[in-house]
Amino acid sequence: MLQGENDVNEQVDVNRGMTGGGIDRRQLLKGAAGAAAVPLLAAPAGAQVAREAPDLAKLVAEGKLPKLADRLPVEPLKITVEKLGRYGGALRRGLRGSAHHNGILRMVGNQGLVRWNLAFTEVLPNAAARWEVNGDSTEFTFFLRKGMKWSDGKPFTADDVVFSIEDCAKNSELYKSVPSPFVIGGKPGTATKLDETTVKFTFPSPYALFLELMATPLGQHPTLFAKHYSSQFHPKYNPALGDLLKAANVSDWPTLFRNKLGDIEIPARWSNPEKPTLDPWVIREAYTGGATRVVMERNAYFWQVDQDGNQLPYIDRLTFGISQDVESLMLDAISGRLDIQDRHIDTLQNKPTLSQNMQKGAYRLVELISASAQQVQIYMNITHKDPKMREMFANKEFRQALSLGINRREIIDIVYLGQSEPYQTGPRPGHPWHHEKLARQFTDHDPKQAAAILDRIGYGRKDSQGFRLRPDGQKVFFAIDVIPTLYPDATDTLELIKRYWADIGIDVKINTVERALYYTRGDNNDHDCAVWPGPGGLDAMLDPRDLFAQHTQGSRYAIPWTLWYVSGGKDGQEPPDSQKQRMKLFDDARGTADMKKRGEIMKQLLDLTAEAFETVGVCLSVNAFGIVKNNLQNVPLRYPNSWPWPNPGPALPQQFFFST
Amino acid sequence: MLRFIFRRLLWMIPSLVVISFLSFVLIQLPPGDYVTTYIATLAASNEIVDQNTAADLRQRFGLDQPMIVQYWKWITGILLRGDFGLSFEWQQPVTDLIWERMALTLVLTFSTLLATWGIALPIGVFSAVKKYSVMDYVVTFMSFLGLAVPSFLLALVLMYVAAVEFGQEVGGLFSEAYVNAPWSFGKIVDLLKHLWIPVIILAVSGTASLIRVMRANMLDELSKPYVTTARAKGLSEFHLLVKYPVRIALNPFISTIAWLLPNLVSGSIIVAIVLSLPTAGPLLLQALMSQDMYLAGAFVLLICSLTLVGSLVSDILLALADPRIRLE
Repeated sequence: MLQGENDVNEQVDVNRGMTGGGIDRRQLLKGAAGAAAVPLLAAPAGAQVAREAPDLAKLVAEGKLPKLADRLPVEPLKITVEKLGRYGGALRRGLRGSAHHNGILRMVGNQGLVRWNLAFTEVLPNAAARWEVNGDSTEFTFFLRKGMKWSDGKPFTADDVVFSIEDCAKNSELYKSVPSPFVIGGKPGTATKLDETTVKFTFPSPYALFLELMATPLGQHPTLFAKHYSSQFHPKYNPALGDLLKAANVSDWPTLFRNKLGDIEIPARWSNPEKPTLDPWVIREAYTGGATRVVMERNAYFWQVDQDGNQLPYIDRLTFGISQDVESLMLDAISGRLDIQDRHIDTLQNKPTLSQNMQKGAYRLVELISASAQQVQIYMNITHKDPKMREMFANKEFRQALSLGINRREIIDIVYLGQSEPYQTGPRPGHPWHHEKLARQFTDHDPKQAAAILDRIGYGRKDSQGFRLRPDGQKVFFAIDVIPTLYPDATDTLELIKRYWADIGIDVKINTVERALYYTRGDNNDHDCAVWPGPGGLDAMLDPRDLFAQHTQGSRYAIPWTLWYVSGGKDGQEPPDSQKQRMKLFDDARGTADMKKRGEIMKQLLDLTAEAFETVGVCLSVNAFGIVKNNLQNVPLRYPNSWPWPNPGPALPQQFFFST
Repeated sequence: MLRFIFRRLLWMIPSLVVISFLSFVLIQLPPGDYVTTYIATLAASNEIVDQNTAADLRQRFGLDQPMIVQYWKWITGILLRGDFGLSFEWQQPVTDLIWERMALTLVLTFSTLLATWGIALPIGVFSAVKKYSVMDYVVTFMSFLGLAVPSFLLALVLMYVAAVEFGQEVGGLFSEAYVNAPWSFGKIVDLLKHLWIPVIILAVSGTASLIRVMRANMLDELSKPYVTTARAKGLSEFHLLVKYPVRIALNPFISTIAWLLPNLVSGSIIVAIVLSLPTAGPLLLQALMSQDMYLAGAFVLLICSLTLVGSLVSDILLALADPRIRLE
């Protein structure tokens, strides 16, 4: 087997290295280069002749489509599939009516320059056949596939990448600020064409994380816009754009550009069937406001083949039914009218029903490994506007006492059906960066010690109901924001926590709010305390919001500190030294390509996080599940459940097939 | 009569101005805006929006401007250019989105209306005439049952039984093959095959309450002296009923036409969502939930205009049906 190409059907092993774990990037580069050196058409004698779907073969015979060899690149991406598939069939999947356009992205995959392997640990070649990184990680050279085509048959070249970055992503009328994957230290990188199929990205400072980001959905810009088609909507290339605007009745060109070409994650991306893409399936019936379904058909120019040289995808057509109601999705699932589904039906409460109906619906369950660390992260607002509240939450011992007051075993048994373990935060067990202290400190249920701590730090006096009083005589009382419609399990967990904390004399209110209000309160720093699932289990580099004040909407224990961090000290509040050190360490880690060194830097960061103990966790994030029809083959039994690894995309749906 | 209609039409203008402003304010009242909701919705699937994008979106949609400015832009667009704006979420003109769904919505609503009246009126009259008979009790029981069962629950139960017990699909208005096919005889037949399920579900609760109203109205009228007089003059019982008391008992139905028109858009939302019907209701709800200002605003404006027109129509019809009513 070729090196550098992954075996897509290998089992994901959570106990193996995950993102950023012990892989020597240079090794990987060699592998990728090796793969590129073996062009498919020069395959050894005796190898089967490349084949294509019968529909396409017919079109070729009628002369309506170029021959397969002319449609494929010189060196197509070769996917080693578990079972060679058969062509045909339509795959059915459900979408919800609103804000679910990413459900399509997840299925057609993010066909960026590079992609993730199945285990979410390595970056593999995709549209780029291989790449080179310079010593200080400021220059990334990608070698594209010669002869690769867009879905309309026009060549995909370095010009397309340069156009997408320099003319689109960096155009201030189209994007007010450059998309963040292309920005390091506040300055954007530059894409330059070296030759027809070679493109170089240059950054002002070391940016080792760039490659990993290019494998995530938000790193898709380089392959998003086909120059030959898109430039007609761009004023730099089309002086007569005004007529197009008038014809379309829109006032400015960015609006028209977006309507026609979309962006990574807006619905308009899937609303124009004429737009050329690199995806395995292309839009036939568009995703628009009034649509009741979306249909995608195979891309005749798709540039991937299986190990025998058969062009992918195997499946002819994707049909996404749009239903407004989750219950009707459930009905479709149990009556066997969905071929692969996880979104919206993957809650724990649905699992018994779905297990019961496996035979009737002729489907099996697959396990989706959570990429998060914490199921219910409790963020007490250390930067609270009220000085007395701030003093209370900022006291580390206060947070420790509350953590000791939680009976995590009982919560896991009652709410999570025993499917988890007591946990604080940080990389998941089995991850090379797993930090035992950060993960497990103060997770024992010890109400006596909790009470002793609270007595000692000045919350010893109690009112007539047995609730503790602050030194200023006010009752210790705070509200915890939670969105019940999003996370019913978090609400249940909080109900139990309210009881445990009442036992140690702390009174809380569970403040169930609507999602927009939740965000508004957070953005304005108006919340006492809030809960949210804590990310960073497998993707600590990509989402470190719980490790330090990094995410302006996610690091809810200190939003003003995050503003200080992202604005380079101009906005927000100045954080304490421990935070500043971690911000510095993270910036260093982001610029370090050597995985071992990066791991050492992150270890220091995690030490500091463990010491500071800012968030209080309950239990390890619980794995979700999905359903897959029995006759749908080549679907891995377990795969990550994440946004940077937009499941099931990186499990390569183009090599799924129907056995019957 | 013409003067009356003209005056009423004039009054609609200030009403619509006030309504448009109020609806704009109301839609904006919930905390946050479209962008917050959008981010929150994506976050629910652990999907992340580029932090730079959020600020961009707000600026592009003009959400960073004061509300009064946003309203002014919106209302002048409508008045001067007939432009209801672009939907934030879909980046499509609002009018296209709404009209795309109106035709099927009309079909569904009118079929439901016909079914409801067709079933309820005769039964209501019947149960009033045969007061306290066995059949009256049966009908009364059934209609209370219909009133008590929420229609979305009925829809869910029907769907569950059909899906799990019979392996049948009950959702949408077309089968797979016809969804996006151009209109043809086959497609109409297919529509009729699917239409009866939502019509029955929707008609059940409507029928139940109509039967009760009709029965009560009829009971009021049946004991009046003019009925006795007509009977004494030897009119046949059927002729008598239809000609006099039924006509008067219909008054309340005519007044409710005012509510019928807005119901075209906003009625049966939950059932439509459960059954995945391609009607206007789910789109309206979705627009409100995602705070898609212009789409939701256009819907609310449409509903309000329909209410105004509806009340005018029902006033005129009432005057025509019942000579005792005057338009002063």
